[in-house]
Parts: sequence; structure tokens; C-alpha cells
Amino acid sequence: MTTAALVHVVVSGLATGSIYALMAISLVIIYNATRTLNFAQGEILMVSTFVGWTAMQVLRAPLVVVLIVAVAAAAGLGWALERLVIRHAISATHFDVLIITLGLSLMLRSAAGLVWTHDEFPFPSLFGNRPLAIGPVRLAPVSLGIIGASLALMLALYALFRWTRMGRAMRAVAQNQRAARLMGISVERVYSGSWVLAAVVGAVAGVLIAPVVFLSSKMGLVAINGFTAAVLGGFGSMPGAVVGGMLLGVLENLAPLYLPSSIKHSVPFLVMITILLVRPSGLLGRVARRKV
Amino acid sequence: MTLRAALLLLLTLVSTAFPASGQQPGVTDKEILIGSSNSFSGPLAFTGEQITKFGVDLYFKVINDAGGIHGRTIRTIYYDDGYRPQDAVANTKKLVEQDRIFAVIIPQGSPPVVATLDYLEENKVPLLFPYQSSPVTRSKRYVFQGMTLSDRSSKMMIDYLAGPRKLKKFAALYQDDEYGKSFLTAFEKDLGRFGLKLVAAESVKRGVTDVSAQIAKLQAAKPQVTFLVLVPGPAAQALRERQKIGWTGTLMVSTGPLTDERYLALAGDAAEGVEGLSLWPDPLLSDLAGVRLYREHMQKHFPKNEPNRYSIAGYFAGMLFAEGAKRAGRNLTRDSLVAALESIKGYESGILPPLTIGADHETQKQGFWVRVEKGRFKPLTDWLKSE
Amino acid sequence: MRRAALATGAVVVLGLPWAVPRYFVFLASLIVVNSIVAIGLNLLSGYTNQLSFGHAGFLAIGAYTGALLTIHAPALPVPAALLVAGLVTAAVGLALGIPCLRLEGLYLAMATLAFGFVVVEAILNLDWITRGNDGLRVPAARLGPIALATDTARYYLTVAVAALLILAALNIARTRTGRALLAVRESEIAAQASGVHLAAYKTLAFVLSAFYTGVAGGLFALVVGFLSPDSFDVFLSVDFVAMIIVGGLGSVPGSVLGAAVITTLNDSLAGFQNYRPLIFGAILIASMLFMPGGIASALRKLSVAGAAGYPGTAPPAAKPRQGDDP
Repeated sequence: MTTAALVHVVVSGLATGSIYALMAISLVIIYNATRTLNFAQGEILMVSTFVGWTAMQVLRAPLVVVLIVAVAAAAGLGWALERLVIRHAISATHFDVLIITLGLSLMLRSAAGLVWTHDEFPFPSLFGNRPLAIGPVRLAPVSLGIIGASLALMLALYALFRWTRMGRAMRAVAQNQRAARLMGISVERVYSGSWVLAAVVGAVAGVLIAPVVFLSSKMGLVAINGFTAAVLGGFGSMPGAVVGGMLLGVLENLAPLYLPSSIKHSVPFLVMITILLVRPSGLLGRVARRKV
Repeated sequence: MTLRAALLLLLTLVSTAFPASGQQPGVTDKEILIGSSNSFSGPLAFTGEQITKFGVDLYFKVINDAGGIHGRTIRTIYYDDGYRPQDAVANTKKLVEQDRIFAVIIPQGSPPVVATLDYLEENKVPLLFPYQSSPVTRSKRYVFQGMTLSDRSSKMMIDYLAGPRKLKKFAALYQDDEYGKSFLTAFEKDLGRFGLKLVAAESVKRGVTDVSAQIAKLQAAKPQVTFLVLVPGPAAQALRERQKIGWTGTLMVSTGPLTDERYLALAGDAAEGVEGLSLWPDPLLSDLAGVRLYREHMQKHFPKNEPNRYSIAGYFAGMLFAEGAKRAGRNLTRDSLVAALESIKGYESGILPPLTIGADHETQKQGFWVRVEKGRFKPLTDWLKSE
Repeated sequence: MRRAALATGAVVVLGLPWAVPRYFVFLASLIVVNSIVAIGLNLLSGYTNQLSFGHAGFLAIGAYTGALLTIHAPALPVPAALLVAGLVTAAVGLALGIPCLRLEGLYLAMATLAFGFVVVEAILNLDWITRGNDGLRVPAARLGPIALATDTARYYLTVAVAALLILAALNIARTRTGRALLAVRESEIAAQASGVHLAAYKTLAFVLSAFYTGVAGGLFALVVGFLSPDSFDVFLSVDFVAMIIVGGLGSVPGSVLGAAVITTLNDSLAGFQNYRPLIFGAILIASMLFMPGGIASALRKLSVAGAAGYPGTAPPAAKPRQGDDP
């Protein structure tokens, strides 16, 4: 294997990893606010990307409009699901809510199949597919574009959490819900806000990855990788989600490159189990405090 | 509480469960009932819906509108198994024992089909035209294979490429399941006849997000030909990945089940120059009488559904069943259907070349070579032989 | 009241094959097999409050062990084969459980999820014995002179095994071990302070859970008659989790009810084809909105002296969702 090929494969893995990272971030946003794992995250991504694509088919809109429509659809969907379904599960436990989001994911995937069929569709990209040659190394603009756009979105999220009122409220709720409520923060608004924000991050990830894996009702399954990435990095930690995502993306690409086919598909999982055994709260996770 | 619930459950079970009477299951004076367990969810949901509702059922609509077969209309019933073998077993038992279907038609995917194979054979239920390519279904009394089996496809591909085309270095990118593995085994055997072997073989998982590592490894082996034993999504990803790294030194060749218009649409300009074995004439453009008729029927009954190779496969399966039932006559039984199908010789479908069903019970054994030019498959050969 | 209900239930369960058509006997066997898995999963989740997304992996190990014994050692009586299937799976559970002691909540969920994937990969790669992607056809097993060749025979086998395992699960709470497990469930730290060896008991829960699922796997192989890596995907693990939550966490009757409901739904919705996941999802959501805590908890609310309230097996009080703890 030449170094040039290796660089390409690693960069390609980083691009996929960026998408995993965005999925991981959106899962963490909801988890931090509500302590629930959202099984439907991938399907929200899928449906909003489909809505954006439909806008393109109907209005012949440029890709920027597609992105805006997808983000708007995601925001609406995220808000509606939280407000109309999740919030009604008043006396439900976290496990009950997990099953509700599982039900949502099944419904959204099935509904998408009924509306758009279970076929796969090509999706336009902002970035080209033909290689840029830098010396012997060939890099695809689409990989670099995905990495760049994801990093930009992550920085924007960082700013949002750091400097906006809503972001501070979200962090406060993540740290201590009761205290946050006592400080006058509307926890309900934070719930809504997290679902909307997570859905929007998902929609951007969807528009970025759809040209690569194609648009289909199945594309939401990438959420499993997002979950893996989030746990690997330390669930609850944003930088952890980014590190976990990138690591997973690169690992998935390096394993087939160097290992015999008999174990290459297991290795990413074995590595994950090993990392968790060494660091039971993920790479950048906080060690959980125990309460009696 | 549990007592009442249990009794209620038992009552509902009993009340919903009286089997229809009649000597031959699924055949009444007015109706023939057939069906299958198929994928309406899961990884092959699109294919499942196309081969059944837009394929088999499309042809039966035409037949039923024309008065049915010997005065009987054909009705179909399908259950979703989501590609899970145990669900396929449950569904198939329900179809045979509960709905009492006459025959199973076009179930999809090797694992679900193989899971029900022994059960159907034991109960002497005809298994018609399963949509899968593993040779395990060959030469069974009650099974008539649909899709061209992988060993036949492989023979046609290797004979053509290593023969007239004189190519010598072959590699394969295959899906890590029964479909991919059965092709890989067949490739190795057929290459062996030419004193050749695969210089590299890389596998991908269903639903893979990135194939760059596999393509990089294949490129390093410098094959003249790279077989793609994949489904449309990953195959189109492989073609685009090749474009990404500017790898032009290999001829990418798609297997029969893959060679279809959807994968061309996904790959876009990365598909130019790709070759493959085509099992069907172009469903959108072919001038063959049977294909034109298929398009007319699709336009009439499902105007929104674009013609494709899945629905035409189902349509063809419906056509063969109807031909068998016609030949079996008014006294339709499972055994008379089997005998009738076995009697088919030189049958003109207008879609595939004249069909003769032999002792192996295979209904499709041929394909022709195509190359992608300006986004369409252009035929390079006449029908190739796999005998 | 309860005794009468139990007696009637027994009559219904034993008489079922004679009252319903053959197909429902097969479906009932599947329900019983899934009930055993659900009870097993509940032994882990109910006592340690942690979910596993890898039980399809345990089921696969039990299924392949049972199937391979049936194929290669046909003289071995079925109960012995099932016992071996359970023990092999329990050994794997021990090997996974000890390192996983350090993991909690989502981290354990992740480790078990990864375990499920690794098991499927192992089946694919041990194809010289598992036949990998080709799938493994399982012949009818023999119980002494009787071949378990009919759906009815296999149904009675699953029922007999399930009855034993259910009795054991119900009575665990009455033993010293069971009381220790209950203490662990209520509060790990308090249990530890009272002298319960936490690590040992958590590992035990893991091993027991794997054993139940392994035995269920052996039965699964006999009932379905065909095994393939595609039979044991991650969605099956998710189904098992849905069974115990819909049924009721920590409750044995809840496990059985959850397994029955999910399996029956899955089967009866198959005819809705592409609407199946839509309807299934809607029912899952509705059941959690209207029966928080699952069926067992809803039944308990309906009747104070309800049949679901076995001593010592009440699930942990539903924790309010809007707290700080995960």
C-alpha cells in the first residue's frame, strides 16, 4: 500500500467520521437535556433530507435552498415530535421513552418508504467527485468538503453553547436540572430547543452524506455509528463525540486495509470494547459519580 | 385477569383459524390463490415491492381482466419478512397452513428462501421462481428456479472475458453474504478452467458507508477486470470511489443481478465504460414485443411506477405461472402444475429467448454482454450460453 | 383465585395444540422461545437496571451450539443438548460479564451491541462448522424413541423447558442469591454496605441471563429449523429490549406477556406489508404513552391483588424521568 493511497483512505475515513461525529453530537444534545437516547435521530435526518430533495425536484431549487428546506423541515419535525409525543409521556421512565423513540424511528422509516418508496436516489453535492492531485496524493473535494463543513458546524455549535442564552440554559440543564429550574430556566423550552437543535444538526449531516451513500429510507441507520461514536468519546461530551466519530471513521477504513478479511469487520467493535474496558466512561467522558 | 385474557386469546385463535375446505389447497371453482413471504421492509424492501405488487400482480391484472385461466381468476397474498429467515418460515407456514395457498411465487433473498426450502418440498408445495441466485434450489421436484443462478452467470462472464476478450487478471469486490459468496465460489471454479485465479477479493458489508479501503487494496493488485458482486448502492459507491482516485486501469464488470438502470442513475458519469452481464432486455427502451407490452401494461395500471428490471422479473414470473396453469388445464393440482411447467418447450415470451424447462427446473439460463455508453446499457453480444 | 387462574392457564397452554390449527402451534412455540429470552434479559436488566443490545448474540450462540449438537451428536438427548447450549452461552456470558462489570448504562449497551456484531462475524468466519452465509439446516431432534418432527412435539418441548425456567425465575427471589440480587437492584451502594459482594452478583446476573438466552437459542434452532447470520441482527436484540419494556421491567409475567405481544404483533402485521413497521411503531408508542412501566405495571394498577404481583418480583418504582440521574 502506497503512502498516497493511505492518505486518501484516511481522509475518506475522516469524512465519514465527521458525519458520525455530527450524528453523535445530535444524540448527545438530546441526551444531555432529557437523559433519553433518541432512536429516531437517524430517521429525522433521513426524512428532512428527503424533504429538501423533494423541494429540489419540485422547485428546481439550487442546493443551498435544499439545505435550508432540509434544516427547516428538521426543526419542524424535531419540535413536533418532542411537543406532540415525547412530552405526553409524563409518568414514563427513561426506558419507556426509549421505546417511544424506537416506535418513532420505525414509523418514520416506513412512512418515508410509503411517500418516496424504498428506492435509492442520487443526490447532488456541493463538492466535486474528481480528484485533486497534490503531488502523488489524490484527495476528493467531496471528502474535504464534508470535513470542512462539519468542522464549521461544530464551531458554530461551540459558539452557541458558549455565548448564547439558549446554549447556556442547555448546559445548565445538562449539569443539574433542578438547580437550573430554580435559577428560572424553563426546562421545557430547553427540551424543545434540544430536539430542534439535534434535528437541525442531523439535517446538515444528511445533506452532506446523501451524495456519498445516496438518499434512501435506509440512510438513517448511520445513527448506529453515531451512537457508537458518542459512547466511544464519552457520552455527554461534545469534544468526545467529535473524537469518537473521527476515530470510528478512520478505524473502519484502516481495518480492511491491513487486516485479513476474516477479522476486518470485527476489529472496529473489538477495539471499541477494549477502549471501554480501559476507560469505562469513554475517551473524554467524566467518571460518573455514584449516589446512594 | 390472566385467565380471562388467555381464554380470549384462545377463542380468537380458534375462531380465526378454520381452514378453507376443498381438495386442492388454493384452487376453487373461481379462483387460484398463490403468494409468498417477501421483503417489504428491511434492506431489500424496494425490490420486494417491485417484483410482487408491480410485477407478478401486474401480469395477473392483465390475465384477470381477460377472464382468468380456465375460468379462474388469480389472487395473490404477500407477507413481509424484512429479510429475516425466521419470519420467512413463520410467514410461509401461515401461507401454506392458514391461507392454504396453491403455490409460493417469487419469494426473495437466499436466507429466507433456503429457510423454507425443506418445509415446502416436504409438503409438496411448488416453490416458483425464487428471486435469489444461490444454486441450492437447483433440481428439486417442486422448485422452479427464477433468477439465473450464480454458477451460470459466472460461467458466462468468465467464458466471455477469458475467452474472446482474452483477459487474464481478475479481482472481485463482493457483498459479504450468500449472494456474494456464491458468486465468489463460482468465479474461482470457472477461472480454474482457464488456469487462472482471482488476484484479489475484497468484501463489503451491506449498508457500508465507505469503500475507499477496499478499492485501494484492489487497485494495488492491478487487476484487468474487477467484478462487482454488490447491490446498487455500494456498487455505485465503488464506481464513484474509483473516479475519486482516478483509477482507470481496470474494467469494472457488474454481475447479472446488479446490471440495472438504478445503479447507473446512482453512479452518474462514474459509470461510463462499465460492462456487465445483463439478464434482461432494457425495460425502458427495448423494442421486443413482450417488453413493449410490459411497458403498456405498466402505463395502464401503474402509470407512476417507472419500468425496471425487478418488476419485469416479477411480470415474467407471473407469465410463466399463467402458462403452466393454462397447460395444466381445468383440473389444476400441484402435481399437474409441475408436470405442465416441465412440458414447456421453446416458449416465446417476447422478453427472453425461447424457453425450455429441463430436469434442472431452471427457467433462466442466459444473459448478454453490455457496456455503459452515455448512461445506457449498449448490447455487445447476442444471448450467451451457460450450458 | 390465583390457583384457579394458574390451573386454567396450564390447561389452555397444554390443550392449545388440539384446539388451534397447526400454524398457531408454531407461532406459540416462537412466543414461548421469546418469553425465555425476555425472562433472561429481564434477569439482567430488571436486577441491574441496565439494558443489553446484544442478546441476539447470546441467542445465536445457543442456537448454533444446539444445532451443531443435534447434527453431529444425534444420540445426545434433547434436554442434554439444550443444557449444553445454555452452559456454553453462560460461559460466554461470564467471559463478557466480568470485564463489563466496569461499564454502566449506555456504555454497557454499547459493549453488548458490539458483542452482538462480533458474534455474527464469528459465525460468518467459522464457516467450516457453522456453514457461514449458506445457513445451517437443523434436522429434527430425538427425545429417546420420539423424533421431535412435528410442530406439536416441538411446542410441548418448549413449553416444558419454559415451565422449568419460569419456575426457577419466580423462585430466585426466595433464595439467598435472589435476595442479594434484589438488594443490588434497589441500591448498589446500599447492598454493598450490607455485605453483598456486588461484583459477584452482577456477574451472576449476566451469566444467568446468558444461560436462559442460550437455552432459548437451542429451542429456537429446533423450532425454526434453519439458522443464518441474518437471523440474529441487531434489530432482533432491539426487539428483545422492546419485549421487556413493553411487558414490564423486572417482572416475570411481564416478560412473558411482552414476548407474547411483540411476537404476535410482528406476526399478525406481516400481511400489512410495507405498512407493517408503521403500525408496529404506532402501537409501541401508544402502549408506552398509555401504559408507562409496561403491561405488568398496568395490570398491577388494575387489580390490587392482581395476578402479576408475585412476591419479590415487583419492578423498581418507576423513576421520574425529569430527574438528574441517567
